[in-house]
Amino acid sequence: MQQSHRIVGLITAAIGAAAFYGGTQLPPSPGQNIGPSLFPMVIGTGLMFCGVLIALGVGRSYEAEVKAEMAALEETFAEQEAGTQGRFHGYRAFIPPALMIFFAAALEPLGFVATAALVALALSRLLGATWWVAAATALISAPLIHLAFFKLLRVPLPAGLVPMPW
Amino acid sequence: MTTFVDALHLVLQTDVLLAILLASIYGMVVGAMPGLTATMATALLVPITFYLSPIAAIATIISASAMAIFAGDIPGALLRIPGTPASAAYTDEAYAMTRKGRPELALGIALWFSAAGGFAGAIALMVIAPVLAEFALRFSTFEYFWLAFLGLMCATIVSRSSPVKAVVSMLLGLLIACVGMENPAATPRFTFGITDLLGGIDVISALVGMFAVAEVMRCMIKPAPPAPPRRKFGSILANQWQLTKQYPVAQARGSLTGIMVGVVPGAGADIAAWVSYSISKRFSKERKKFGTGHPEGLIEAGASNNASLAGSWVPSLLFGIPGDTITAIAIGVLYMKGLNPGPTLFTDKADHMYALYIIFMLAQILMIPLGLVMIRLASQVLRAPYSLVMPVVLLCCAVGTFAIGNTASAIVIAAVFGVVGFTMERYGFPVAAMVLGIVMGTLLEQAFIASLMKSGGNPMPFFERPVSMVLASMAILCLAWPVLLWLYGRVRAKAPVNPG
Repeated sequence: MQQSHRIVGLITAAIGAAAFYGGTQLPPSPGQNIGPSLFPMVIGTGLMFCGVLIALGVGRSYEAEVKAEMAALEETFAEQEAGTQGRFHGYRAFIPPALMIFFAAALEPLGFVATAALVALALSRLLGATWWVAAATALISAPLIHLAFFKLLRVPLPAGLVPMPW
Repeated sequence: MTTFVDALHLVLQTDVLLAILLASIYGMVVGAMPGLTATMATALLVPITFYLSPIAAIATIISASAMAIFAGDIPGALLRIPGTPASAAYTDEAYAMTRKGRPELALGIALWFSAAGGFAGAIALMVIAPVLAEFALRFSTFEYFWLAFLGLMCATIVSRSSPVKAVVSMLLGLLIACVGMENPAATPRFTFGITDLLGGIDVISALVGMFAVAEVMRCMIKPAPPAPPRRKFGSILANQWQLTKQYPVAQARGSLTGIMVGVVPGAGADIAAWVSYSISKRFSKERKKFGTGHPEGLIEAGASNNASLAGSWVPSLLFGIPGDTITAIAIGVLYMKGLNPGPTLFTDKADHMYALYIIFMLAQILMIPLGLVMIRLASQVLRAPYSLVMPVVLLCCAVGTFAIGNTASAIVIAAVFGVVGFTMERYGFPVAAMVLGIVMGTLLEQAFIASLMKSGGNPMPFFERPVSMVLASMAILCLAWPVLLWLYGRVRAKAPVNPG
């Protein structure tokens, strides 16, 4: 835990240093003493200072208090969670943003309905649905969302491989 | 009176009434599902508001958020899992009531006093906002700077986290707001040559990422909530009038606390509920009954979290300073619809402001029948598995952010901010403080730079005007508050213990 605080503090201070350096590289405003560099430099300084405080463990007592308060409420959940965790369980969390990036990349070549159906199928399966339920979710949700956004809200969603009749 | 009639005309349009009804149903369903928050419900609505009239757009946000905050109490009472963070403070109390075989009473209190609190909040908004607007018309950039700074400091103090981490969150938010050309010199900052970043990081995409994508991420690693037992409820609203007469102080104090917490920037319905539940327990004559299914705390905190919703619109409408995460999103919609926040909004667009008050009232009235239906359907709605709901939520995030500028880069921004929100919460950094930083970054910088230019770089004028001096003192006190608390703790720890 001590180590984790130091790493978080260090990362915070590094972001602050980068912001400060980035600020110094900005060109000044012609004829003005105060330019676009001031604000990032102030923020960078603040982040560096806070990073050091985090690394030193300042403010940890507050976190402990809140954690203790929430732990009582979440004990039922924690019991259920204990049985489901494997070694790489935590990494599953990064699947949704990865699917969104896939969505962004595939939207133009595959079209909205095909891409959305693939994303829905994958996520539904990963959340424990059977193949049938996942396929049904994908095949119903993708055209319905297309109908709502394309037809009703007039968002120009690419048609791609599976053009819709509307 | 003419303004009020004009406002009524604005609200009584078919599109506005339909928007209120549909958004209310949507808010009810989303709020009742554990893991889907009121802020997330609001964030996902934003792309739809692009296509609505200004009043209909505001109406969807107000209605959906009010319903979601109430509906969060339903799984809290039936499953001991708060539907939204705003219900967490009194979930144990509500569940204890259910275990005593009185779920109707717990749900009835949640519904009745949520509506009552919401009503009180709407009245407070109606009274406070115009008065403050008149006062705020005299503010210069110095006052705006201190006000924005004070707002950010308040957000860091009220966050349920380490104050240092809250300040870091806020600073990171300000840093994100620096990206792009929207600065006094219009110089591209931190764009790394990416053309899409010249206009800055789109706030709505970032908020969808932090509140909706991050929530889907959390659902990937936590087990789905258990299905509630099928049960038939008796009368939901029986005894509520009797409780209203029995606990008038709790109800009034809860509403008042909620309004005050709502007005404080960054403090939303969840903090209002925690504060009110603690106050209720502290001052109750039946303190020992708390935790055993006692109605008093439920009444006070239930009224408080809904009252805070209207309270949080006060700084948002007056200064563009979000009262909570929901209004942080709403401010974006206000700008988009040409209702730029500021004191002049109450004079130039008075009919729109009256319309907003009327919508608040309508939403509270609609909450009662819709809430009754939702409670009856709760067993079915709470059975919806994550594997059905989350794919739809993720698709709505993707298509919603795409709709903002018809560009795929907005989807990538939402994905990246999903990871940011998820990681920050994992390491104890409050996301709300960052959101405030992002939303208020431009306002703060503009006020800061304009004030410095006016004063020729001299800091003294920042403290010379009476209002700015008061605001500056408050802001500095907020900044020093964690240090003072820490020092006080050290002194108390060192003080000799009296053996008597």
